[in-house]
Amino acid sequence: MADKEAAVYIVDLGESMADCHNGRSESDLDWSMRYVWDKISTTVAANRKTWTVGVVGLGTNKADNPQHKDGLEGYENISILQQIGPMSMSDLKELHRKIKPSRTSGGDAISAIVVALSMIEVYTKKLKYNRKIFLVTNADSPIDDAEESIADVAGKLNELNIELVIIGVDFDDADYGFKEEDKSSVKATNERVLLKLVDKSQNAVFGTMAQAVQELSIPRIKPVKPFKAYDGSLTLGDPAQYKDALSIHIERYFKTKRAPAPTASTVVTKPELIGGPSQLTMAPDEDVEMGGTEFSGVKHMRIYRVNDPDAPGGKRDVEFEGLAKGYQYGRTVVPFSESDFPVTKLETKKEFTIIGFVPFSSYEAFLNMGETGIIAAQRHNEEAELALSALIHALHEVESYAVARYVQKDGAQPQLLLLKPNPGIEDPFECLYDVPLPYAEDVRTYQFPPLDKVLTVTGHVLTEHRLLPSDELNQAMSDFVDAMDISTFGTDDEGKPAEYAPIDELYNPVIHRINQAIRSRAVHPDEPVGPPADILVRFSKPPANLLDKARADIESLIEIAEVKKVPPKAQGKRGKKDQVKPLSGLDIDSLLGQSRRTTISPSNAIPEFKQALATADDDATVESAAKQMGSIIRKLVEDSFADLFYAQAAENLRVMREELIGLEVPGLYNKFLVSLKKSILSGELNGDRREMWFKHIVGGKLGLITQDESEVSEVTETEAKEFTT
Amino acid sequence: MAWGGDEERRADGDEEEELDETDYKTQKDAVLFAIDVSDSMLLPPPAGDQKKADKDTAVSAALKCAYRIMQQRIISQPKDMMGILLFGTEKSKFRDDSNSRSGTGYPHCYLLTDLDVPAADDVKRLKAMVEEGEDLDELLVPSNEPALMSNLLFCANQVFTTSAANFGSRRLFIITDNDNPHGGDKNIKSSAAVRAKDLYDLGVVIELFPISRGGKKFDMTKFYDDIIYRDPAAEAGVSDEIKASKSGDGLTLLSSLISNISSKQTPKRSYFSNLPLELAPGLTITIKGYIPLHRQQPARTCYVWLDGEQPQLAQSETTKVDSSTRTVQKSEVKKAYKFGGEYVYFKPEETDALKRLGPKGLRVIGFKPRSMLPMWASVKKSVFIFPSEEGYVGSTRVFSALWQKLLKDNKMGLGWFIARDNGNPVMVAILPSRSSGGDTSATNFLPAGLWLYPLPFADDVRNVDLPSAPRCPDELTDGMRHIVQNLQLPRAMYNPLKYPNPSLQWHYKILQAMALEEDVPEKLDDPTIPKYRQMDKRIGEYLGEWKEQVAKKAKEVMHSKATKRESDFDDEDRPAKRAKSAAAKKATGSMSNAQLKLALENDTLKKMTVAELKDVLAGKGISTTGKKAELLEKLEQWIEDNA
Repeated sequence: MADKEAAVYIVDLGESMADCHNGRSESDLDWSMRYVWDKISTTVAANRKTWTVGVVGLGTNKADNPQHKDGLEGYENISILQQIGPMSMSDLKELHRKIKPSRTSGGDAISAIVVALSMIEVYTKKLKYNRKIFLVTNADSPIDDAEESIADVAGKLNELNIELVIIGVDFDDADYGFKEEDKSSVKATNERVLLKLVDKSQNAVFGTMAQAVQELSIPRIKPVKPFKAYDGSLTLGDPAQYKDALSIHIERYFKTKRAPAPTASTVVTKPELIGGPSQLTMAPDEDVEMGGTEFSGVKHMRIYRVNDPDAPGGKRDVEFEGLAKGYQYGRTVVPFSESDFPVTKLETKKEFTIIGFVPFSSYEAFLNMGETGIIAAQRHNEEAELALSALIHALHEVESYAVARYVQKDGAQPQLLLLKPNPGIEDPFECLYDVPLPYAEDVRTYQFPPLDKVLTVTGHVLTEHRLLPSDELNQAMSDFVDAMDISTFGTDDEGKPAEYAPIDELYNPVIHRINQAIRSRAVHPDEPVGPPADILVRFSKPPANLLDKARADIESLIEIAEVKKVPPKAQGKRGKKDQVKPLSGLDIDSLLGQSRRTTISPSNAIPEFKQALATADDDATVESAAKQMGSIIRKLVEDSFADLFYAQAAENLRVMREELIGLEVPGLYNKFLVSLKKSILSGELNGDRREMWFKHIVGGKLGLITQDESEVSEVTETEAKEFTT
Repeated sequence: MAWGGDEERRADGDEEEELDETDYKTQKDAVLFAIDVSDSMLLPPPAGDQKKADKDTAVSAALKCAYRIMQQRIISQPKDMMGILLFGTEKSKFRDDSNSRSGTGYPHCYLLTDLDVPAADDVKRLKAMVEEGEDLDELLVPSNEPALMSNLLFCANQVFTTSAANFGSRRLFIITDNDNPHGGDKNIKSSAAVRAKDLYDLGVVIELFPISRGGKKFDMTKFYDDIIYRDPAAEAGVSDEIKASKSGDGLTLLSSLISNISSKQTPKRSYFSNLPLELAPGLTITIKGYIPLHRQQPARTCYVWLDGEQPQLAQSETTKVDSSTRTVQKSEVKKAYKFGGEYVYFKPEETDALKRLGPKGLRVIGFKPRSMLPMWASVKKSVFIFPSEEGYVGSTRVFSALWQKLLKDNKMGLGWFIARDNGNPVMVAILPSRSSGGDTSATNFLPAGLWLYPLPFADDVRNVDLPSAPRCPDELTDGMRHIVQNLQLPRAMYNPLKYPNPSLQWHYKILQAMALEEDVPEKLDDPTIPKYRQMDKRIGEYLGEWKEQVAKKAKEVMHSKATKRESDFDDEDRPAKRAKSAAAKKATGSMSNAQLKLALENDTLKKMTVAELKDVLAGKGISTTGKKAELLEKLEQWIEDNA
């Protein structure tokens, strides 16, 4: 039930639009079209059949409009470039070719508005439409300023309920603070006439192009109509069983809902049409289209396979029609017949009922599991309004939330919601907000050590330790946090101090960046992708003047904190000869020493390989260990029934890789891997082992060790990439 | 004992931390329970006269615990493996007997459930053992000579090596009451220590769950200190406290064991690690991120192939085809954005550039009082962060200072957060959670640290504009206040652990019954259903009176509104016509139910235009698709049901 819209853009194409004015390097037309293209492409992007666009050229070389055809005067140099209708990308390209400055300076802007409004009148009839006319002009050609014709046009606009937007190049705008010096008298007169028209119209705007273009970078948020998720009773107690139970008729809407970023579709280049486009239909003056490749969507075909030891590769295809639906219980599959299927769904009835109340202080915001809803009393229901209002104020006064069980409709999964009272503070009307709460299954109990003390293994509690902040550090941190306060660092509309970065200024950078890029690519296919608009990354770092203000506190914090970067080499790498000991500190290596491990058994390969390397005194031992490990890996692949031992082989390989990086002998690994690849791909390891290579080695990132990973490696990033593709 | 001092030990731990970026091992968990079967483990508890007295032998408590955890894991960790190994048994078994290693390889070790994703049969067998005390194969008979711990450890080694080769987390849970299995035999002890080191090198973590009885302390120094290593993935400063399970203090051995094992049951999986947190230019520390709260959903349906001997999961593979169903090669595929029914194409490097809005990391933008976080500003779950020393030494103390400051002054940070390379940026509020010690924290089921609370973008906020309803009189508020104060949840807090998800529980109860071929349960014990009877008892009478008050006030308000409306009508002097055209009024979206009902009775609804009908329906949250007749029907239905 989207609103229907009919918008006509009147674009001034007079010859003076080709000139650059007021120090701009862009012609008036190009500059104005930034605004128009943005508007039109936004409409195209919405891809809605009911959002229609028409375009009228003002100051065109010839005249092409019904009024002129009917012999009316004053409609010269006005052409309908596009009749009102849904707009596609090819229309956009078509239009792009037509927007060119003319070689004339004639054309009456008011007449163009008349053309536009009669287009709208014909197209929309008496139906419900949002009607809009946009006029962009530099007002260089004379406009008939007869009082009565202006009044007529305004009257017609009002009658048809058309919104008129006039954006002029270098028009004076006191509100925005722009005044053109040395304005020609024609233009000054024209501006007055247009302003008069705007004043007489009920729904009209008059603005200057500089402001319009500037505001283009402000992301526009796609308005979404409030969606009512629930209309029914909110109960306290069970009214069906107990006469005293309370039932309030409420409505619930979404307050927040995550807006998705545009996602790219997977496409392929359309196969060439047979014979190619006909030469005859090509207009002689048409430019050859750049990047005009046609794409078509890609569909996914699904095939189903089951294990079958007799089939080649151990798997065979099965018909989808013959499959039953089911669920997995552990590794057991439980098939369900179509009629049994609903049994696993908990039967629920639509309801919204309060379980109990909790004080504000017992809840933390980070327990919120998702999006917020908003709850208000049913409209025009006084009893509900009063009861809900009482609940909201009571909760607010005793600083409590309600916890409620919410079933959106019959059969839906029950949710637990936390209801928060808003007595007209955060939104200017009384309501409850609700957020989803976690269930028992949603909580993962992870253990962490305390942050304010250190417990030693022997059970002592330390309050002074290098992992704990000193009083000095605490003080420096406190000063820093206070200095970086932004609660009054922003400014409001009136220039008064206000909260910095409030939510209504946080635009989703991904959504708007992609949308802007798509729109600009659609209009100008050959232009490169520009950097993100400043407004989108505005909050990616602290404001510079805040940092200046806090400079001293930042510096003293840095000094006291004494944070040191771990040198890249030491990161994550175990010391070469680090001794790992059990809790008792028992020296296992000395126990092992008696039976020094130099031969590696396949069944205990990883520990023995590690231990052999750890006690290796010479390169020969390392080399021998690597060689033995290599043979074990080969053997695992060779002996594997289907993919049975692949995971084990890959794990051995992973350990081998890791350890040899640690010992700085990447060459040993790389050499082995090259030969393993050859063996696998040539099929000499007892059959088709490509899955081992692609899924486990390439997919498991067990490729060649590069120079990035180990300085002594002779393999570059590119070589390694090539090796695995 | 050679402790080597705290400093040194911690340093070891830091360097040994696993790096998740380079850690491409599958993020799966495998747990093998090793349960000691000995005379003392099988000793029935002393008969108690209390209701809650222990009824379980230690072995049966351990098996019950394993059973319960197996069921839990099927729900919450459906891809993770679990196994049960008994040791000290008269019988021995390792995998199928055709394997030459079996029996003789690991005497007195009995692999009850092989390490795998549990199957219905595993659950069934275990259930029979713990619920009916069934022990058909006489497994729970201790051997005369004790099992060699070295054998047990090597047996576990083989189980992990072959079944869970590339699992990111592999753990051996040893449940025993014997702190000194090998007495003073130094050689046997040494070979156990060597096998323990093997397990350590293999990446298997041993978790000990000792059982102590009769006030006797489980003495780690006798044997287990040589076996247990610190968890290499542990945070700096963590103390791996080993708690002994025991009965007493109103706690059964079973519940004590369950609580100890449950706390370590979930493998700690990090969401990101070694992520820079830039407090200010020139001051960066490193953090790790976790997701301790995550909505658990029932597993998705799968397709089952029934024509074989056993139902088998059909694995699906997709191939891409173009409009003429020609299979498309990977190299042909391009990414393009839909735009006005067509596609706008970007080169791959351009697509990447579009997404690149900065390097991964968390950057502090500034600080605000906590009160500036609007209570409606919620969009998704939060991420828990904790310091790590892997990138910057000193991170922990700086993090701690920040945490303490935010707690003390009730402040929050504002941050720009990108979790992964090429990830989408999010604006987050940085909120502290209190330390879990004692009752001071309302959220003591969650760890203390900082949380990244995602803020909604302006794009995510719906513009809901509702009319202001009349404020209720104070006496009504007063009455409701009394009710609110009398219906607090237990302990005046919402503790999620008390509320299992009813849909999830039901789903798996049914599944389990079907899988085990048992009777399907009739009803679910659902704590999310309010205790209606108790509520009525506590506040029913009072609420009844309050309701009457509301009804009375509502009448007054209605009356005064009506009078006002009448005077409005008088002004316009055409009340008759007004009432008639009620349905055709312009502002139909705000037509009251009474007006709609009247329109239905007078049969004037059909005079409304399609647009008006849609307005009204949308206002009621009803779908607005269809022709006029269908819309009318929908509206009439709604009026009959609701107005």
